Amino acid sequence: MGTMGLALPWKARISSTLRERGTRVEPSEQFAGDPSPAAAEALSEDAALAAACRSGDLRAYERLYAMHGARMKNLARNVLGNPIDAEDAVQDTFLKVQRSIASFRGQSSFVTWTYRILINTCYDARRSRRRKKEVANDDSGEVPRPELRAPGAHPTLRMALERALEKLTRHQRDVFLLYEVEGFRHAEIAGMLEMTETASKNTLFQAKKNLRLMLEPPRPGRGAADTR
Amino acid sequence: MMMNVTCNDRDRIFADGTLAEWAALEAHAASCPLCAEEVRAWKSLSIAAKELRDYSDSASLWPRIERALTEEAARTAQRAERKIWFSFLPSFSPVWQTALAGALVLVLAISAGWFVVQRPVRTVDNDQSLLKSSALKEVESAETAYQRAIDKLAVQAKPQLENPATPLLANYHEKLLVLDSAIADLRAQAGMNPSNAQLRYQLLAMYQEKQHTLEEILEAKP
Repeated sequence: MGTMGLALPWKARISSTLRERGTRVEPSEQFAGDPSPAAAEALSEDAALAAACRSGDLRAYERLYAMHGARMKNLARNVLGNPIDAEDAVQDTFLKVQRSIASFRGQSSFVTWTYRILINTCYDARRSRRRKKEVANDDSGEVPRPELRAPGAHPTLRMALERALEKLTRHQRDVFLLYEVEGFRHAEIAGMLEMTETASKNTLFQAKKNLRLMLEPPRPGRGAADTR
Repeated sequence: MMMNVTCNDRDRIFADGTLAEWAALEAHAASCPLCAEEVRAWKSLSIAAKELRDYSDSASLWPRIERALTEEAARTAQRAERKIWFSFLPSFSPVWQTALAGALVLVLAISAGWFVVQRPVRTVDNDQSLLKSSALKEVESAETAYQRAIDKLAVQAKPQLENPATPLLANYHEKLLVLDSAIADLRAQAGMNPSNAQLRYQLLAMYQEKQHTLEEILEAKP
């Protein structure tokens, strides 16, 4: 992918003074290991949710959906490229959680475990879709994107970013989506993707470096950043 | 006090910088156009990522998931009900069930093998029914001696048999004639097949019967 000509809208959104937590510009891992009462409460809630789901309580699944359904669907849509497949993936994820909740041993948080299932389900769906495509002799290799998203402030920027994300490695894409889009901490991402926290940080760095190269051209007189 | 960073620290801070390091980098960027551009671009990616957020509600998704979960729970319950029929194996994992079945087959195979090995073989009997030449000579000599003894009894009983005084003696006479006939027949067969022990046993039985009959005749002497 070449130059996307995105300098103006990007510049317009940059704040040089305020670094809100939502932008995820600065590291938020300072809070990850904090054994605060809030963190302890979250852990306890997570365990209670897992126990309720294990007992087969449908209301527990409804609560899980209320807490994470939208985020799960958004993540699935960004991996799969369309909302229909994303909804199927979320539904499959809930079914898989229900089927295998008995084997959940609490080695990671219940929510982290659920997202791990979602990510694997999304990639299974991608593989399955690719196989079907091969059978149909359609070797275009591109993910269909019948986008039905709510219109964002910068649809051109969004599309450019989506195309660039497709060119990243799986791990780079996953870490970028989980950290920058969904707002998970590196500790949580490490649990979801079964990697170390340091690996998650390094992967995000490489992902952003590659995205930067794809979305903005190297300027004359500036050293080109490596693309790994 | 603000820490000092240089352009060389930029990537490290991008990858895993602390809040203080980020603040120092921004302070440095204020006087370094290259770092200012890099920081801007780096932050822009995070801001652009927001464009990929769409948490709009999907009214039909939860009802759909709820229905699927309910159906799955019902199917699971049905499967559990079916399993009750096999409740004698509830606590065994499939691995143990397979091992148990294997052990059962092994026991059956060993039992069948044991019966086959223990079954009497006819050929062995046939071999035993054939007398060896040394044994045959012993049998024949014993038989001859036995026959002579019986002949002596027959000589003693002869007067009574030739003129039977009672119907009982007449019956004994007839019985002896039948026995003599059977003995002659068996001796003829034994002559053709001298090693056949079965024939020898039958012949012996006939001699014993003749002996008993002659003794009874002599005891019945008036």
